[in-house]
Amino acid sequence: MKLLFWGLLFFLALFRVLTFKVPVTDGQKVKITTRVLQEPQRFSNYQKLILENLTVYLDPYPEIFYGDEVVVEGVISQNKLVNAKLLKLQESRAVLPTFRKSLINFYQNNLPEPHASLVAGITLGSKSGLGKDFWDKLKNTGVAHVVVASGTNITLVAGFLVGLTTLFLKRRLAIVFVLAGIWLYAVLSGFDAPIIRAAVMGSLAFTAQEVGRLAQSFRILVITGLLMLIIKPVWIRDLGFILSFVATGSLIAFQERINRKIQVLPAVIREGVSTSLAAQIGVAPILFVTFGAFNILSPVINALILWSVPLIMVVSGVAGLLGLIFPFLGRMVLYLTYPLTSWFVFVVNFFD
Amino acid sequence: MRLKYLFSVLALITLTIWGTVLAYPDKKLHIIACDVGQGDAILAVYGNFQILTDGGPDNKVLECLSKHMPFWDREVELVILTHPQTDHFTGLIEVFKRYKVDTFLVSEVKSSAQSYEVLKKAVGSTPARVVQPKEGMVIRLGLIQIDILHPSESFLQQGSRDLNDYSTVYKLKFGDFEALFTGDISPRIIGELLAKNAIGPVDYIKIPHHGSRNGTTLGLLEATVPKLAVISVGRKNSYGHPHSEVLKMLKDLGIEVRRTDEMGDVEIESDGKGFKLLNP
Repeated sequence: MKLLFWGLLFFLALFRVLTFKVPVTDGQKVKITTRVLQEPQRFSNYQKLILENLTVYLDPYPEIFYGDEVVVEGVISQNKLVNAKLLKLQESRAVLPTFRKSLINFYQNNLPEPHASLVAGITLGSKSGLGKDFWDKLKNTGVAHVVVASGTNITLVAGFLVGLTTLFLKRRLAIVFVLAGIWLYAVLSGFDAPIIRAAVMGSLAFTAQEVGRLAQSFRILVITGLLMLIIKPVWIRDLGFILSFVATGSLIAFQERINRKIQVLPAVIREGVSTSLAAQIGVAPILFVTFGAFNILSPVINALILWSVPLIMVVSGVAGLLGLIFPFLGRMVLYLTYPLTSWFVFVVNFFD
Repeated sequence: MRLKYLFSVLALITLTIWGTVLAYPDKKLHIIACDVGQGDAILAVYGNFQILTDGGPDNKVLECLSKHMPFWDREVELVILTHPQTDHFTGLIEVFKRYKVDTFLVSEVKSSAQSYEVLKKAVGSTPARVVQPKEGMVIRLGLIQIDILHPSESFLQQGSRDLNDYSTVYKLKFGDFEALFTGDISPRIIGELLAKNAIGPVDYIKIPHHGSRNGTTLGLLEATVPKLAVISVGRKNSYGHPHSEVLKMLKDLGIEVRRTDEMGDVEIESDGKGFKLLNP
């Protein structure tokens, strides 16, 4: 029975990946009408979008946001849409994308750069506002993962919600709220592959606990991966998807062991060191192959800053929610992130 | 556990207050030619007053504002757009979105750039007062005085095919310190200004048009005899700015030159008498 289940899952995923093909019709002129499902990346003289599995480069203005509806025309060439032109832009009026946009605006209107983008990146995984220079520095020092929406965000949100809901509700009811919260956040933070991975895993783990099954993280990781590939095989080429799984796998396999070996380190940074060392074991080779570079000091840099990330996320999350109703109060709370982001920026500049 | 949270929050509050105190501005005028690549963005700061002239070709100007303004100050008192070309206005879009701008000094000139409509829209949705600069206009901001030298009424009636010629030219005075900002004006406009005797000696000059040959003239430098000439220009730009002839002119006259492509932000500080270059 068990064997059949796993066999079927593997077979289905394999079948989907192998039979899936991007309709490659190079040189064909197409008009795409679609909703923007991934946050566009902004650069100084263009913005980069993924529409219907095609990479599209457009002029930096007007700005396109996650959730907007666009009509784009261009010529297909190797998974890219070249000579792309924006024909129509319908701003999204859906609740969550609008909410996300107002939160990001709140950060950008109240904090200087790169602090605002750092906060928006850590809390909402928005990298659209990051200046190219700072983004390059984050990549060089190996800490770019904190500003892209990742599993860490989901873990933090889930932890925060569990702590909050179990104060008022029975466990079974609390789980429902936590699951709702996780998925709400997943949509809010751009719905990228790593976030979906974490949300599916989190949901499976919580539900398994509830139906009285022992949650085995490794098994859940594999099931999540196969399920996601069955639903959307194109993810097999998404670097974020691959990194997310490899990093999580390495964490499950090595973190505990490393943590036990480094008891000498002070508690504040021990978690950061073991987390980044464990993740690096799996991730470093991939990064090296894809980007041709990898910072040997990255675990040290991560250890120095990782402790500040949950703090920044919680404080700016609370500040954002507060600020949308009471701007002044939210602003005052948001200022509390300034010393933390200053430390973050200092460390990144120092090691770059 | 609860005590630990309380302690963290108190520590953060203390650190933030210290940060606020330490970021408090001094009582000197600072002029920063921001390193925004190929374009112009010049920030003048005195205490809590900021005057931003142009915004450069992209959002890099935000980093410059962030670096030279206290983190709690979200208000730019005056923004001047010399003329609507992308290397001068693009960065202003985000400035208007993120900062409260009191006054926007801009000539009513048509721009062919699509993104200029985006800027107009961004400005329109803020309470910023939009003022058209004219020769003879004087603006006072605290101890800073700004004298508009160009465009003149007669120039505006006559018009020009070259957008650069519409550049707002102004003199900034702070005590005895004087600086001349020239946008992208061409030798033709410089000639007109010199003929009117509108330009006298200054301490600091922003070299017109990123050091292009279609900008600085010997007459301009001889009339202004600046101690420092600043060229805002991008590294390895495709226009070949600054032109070797302009650099030679400056060298021959013994004028000190600082370029944003060589040293990043070029910052000076003045107490109202002389001035000091803060870059080495």
